[in-house]
Amino acid sequence: MATAALPQPDLVPAYEMAVQVSLLQDAWRRIRRNRLALVGAGIILLLFLTAIVATFWTPYPVWLQAVGPTYQGPTSAHPLGLDQAGRDILSRIMGGASITVQVGVGSAIIVSLIGIPLGLLAGFYRGWVDTVISFVINIWYGIPDLLVALILVFVLSDALHLIPRGVFVIILAFSFTRWMDVARLVRGQALALREREFVEAARMSGARDFGIVVRHIFPNALGPIIVQSTFAIPAAVLFEAFLSFLGLGLPSPAPSWGAMANDGYHGLDFAPHIALAPTIALSITLMAFNWLGDGLRDAFDPRMRR
Amino acid sequence: MTAVDGISFDVDRGETVGIVGESGSGKTMTALSLLRLIPDPGKITSGRILFGDRDVIHMSDEEIREFRGADVAMIFQDPMTSLNPVLKVGFQVEEAMAAHRRFTSKQSRERVVPMMQRVRIPAAAQRVKDYPHQFSGGMRQRVMIAMGLSNEPSLLIADEPTTALDVTVQASIIELLRDLNRELGAAVILITHNLSVVASLCQRVIVMYAGRIVEEGPTRAIFKNPQHPYTWSLLRSIPRADERGHQKLLSIAGLPPDLSNPPPGCKFHPRCKFRIDKCFTEEPTLDDVGGGQQARCWVLMSNVPAADKGER
Repeated sequence: MATAALPQPDLVPAYEMAVQVSLLQDAWRRIRRNRLALVGAGIILLLFLTAIVATFWTPYPVWLQAVGPTYQGPTSAHPLGLDQAGRDILSRIMGGASITVQVGVGSAIIVSLIGIPLGLLAGFYRGWVDTVISFVINIWYGIPDLLVALILVFVLSDALHLIPRGVFVIILAFSFTRWMDVARLVRGQALALREREFVEAARMSGARDFGIVVRHIFPNALGPIIVQSTFAIPAAVLFEAFLSFLGLGLPSPAPSWGAMANDGYHGLDFAPHIALAPTIALSITLMAFNWLGDGLRDAFDPRMRR
Repeated sequence: MTAVDGISFDVDRGETVGIVGESGSGKTMTALSLLRLIPDPGKITSGRILFGDRDVIHMSDEEIREFRGADVAMIFQDPMTSLNPVLKVGFQVEEAMAAHRRFTSKQSRERVVPMMQRVRIPAAAQRVKDYPHQFSGGMRQRVMIAMGLSNEPSLLIADEPTTALDVTVQASIIELLRDLNRELGAAVILITHNLSVVASLCQRVIVMYAGRIVEEGPTRAIFKNPQHPYTWSLLRSIPRADERGHQKLLSIAGLPPDLSNPPPGCKFHPRCKFRIDKCFTEEPTLDDVGGGQQARCWVLMSNVPAADKGER
């Protein structure tokens, strides 16, 4: 301090010194300190950008065969090489990013749309509503999800031709078999939050049940819901890749990473780049989402506050 | 188990009534039953609750919802946890009005700042955009009071509104409640175990013990001339600034009775210094003892010789 002036009495009211931070701002401040989560977020950003670019432009059309010799390894013209049909793998990886993003985000949204209302209902009303919903959740956990999803895709698309084989039917199959995680989490949050004083206070001031759930329970459960939804994305991505690898996902020319891995699987001993490219892309994507999810979980967890 | 039994009292328009008693004496249950909000598995088995000429017990779900908050508002002990941490305080005050039909949404929005000014929150216009954690305990309690009063209820139930606050803030909240009671003419039921709060705020006091009213009457009369030994002991257990000499502070020996297995006769007899044989077997009734005062006691303190009270 260079000034010689007498210290002035602090007349600034205390409230002006409090920094305005909302839940999201607060979470953002903390996640910025988490390197791994930032790396994950960076990769995810890249994935989304690639997906957007790929819908308008790829070096070669993703379906175009024989752009060069089949099984050709990486060259300057084709940085990731060509596959068994002579398709440009880089273009197909980019196209695969687009599918991955659609499946991941779409599934997370549908799963949340199913899980959040059910969880809120069960946790808030308890009683027989909770008994029924929890019973269904527990039964659903016992169902072999892959098997059911396989059958669902087969029946809806191939047998009945209700929905064309594509991203949408995969999202549907995933959400149908994996909605319980979000529902169970939200139920637990609602159970805990409904006993909080501010919920009681709202009830005493004559708030409607709907208002209490929407304005008091849901916003307070938002942190864990965001985290759970983030973890649903890699699960759905892996699910799609798995189905496509088995040949039950997207139909053949679609550049699904899982299908591409299957393409390369047959030539693994002499042209490993065909299988490596999609599997590495898949691994990096899954890791990135898990890192971000972990980071978000720490950021939203009030007990981790420093 | 009967947590609250045979409670009967009236609160007039604009009146402030204090309910005092130790923890577990049924004060809060009494207040909650006024709003039909007894927590599970409790229930009201018999009795009547009249608000004006409306019967609270037989209101439909929608009627009781409208009744809560609009006709009767309640403020709580702990302002720290009674506000939703993720919503701005101004929005929460607005919400309290939006839940009822008394004001349109436009009116509700416009009333937020005046309400917060009314409870003396400085810089209210700026502070509406703050979150609860940016408020101090006393300020949060003011927000709770603003929410409670926003629908202009005719009765405000304050359940230990100052217990969680520190002493200097307590005084200002009490002062605020007194001013608002005068300005708005709303009746106030003040639930507390703090006798000095009662003395400074209430016209009438109800003393509860083991789920029963043991004494009731005008504040002045009760403080000056307590008739039930429990009230008398309570008053003796707090130090008084105006006391001359060395009056000994009294503590009440023993614990409140287990209400799932209450003692026979007077519920207070196991801890009473002035009990007689009748107290062991027969429960006294709440009778007039003069001066608008009622007490549930076979003995009455006015009949106890001064020497036995330990007075000089």
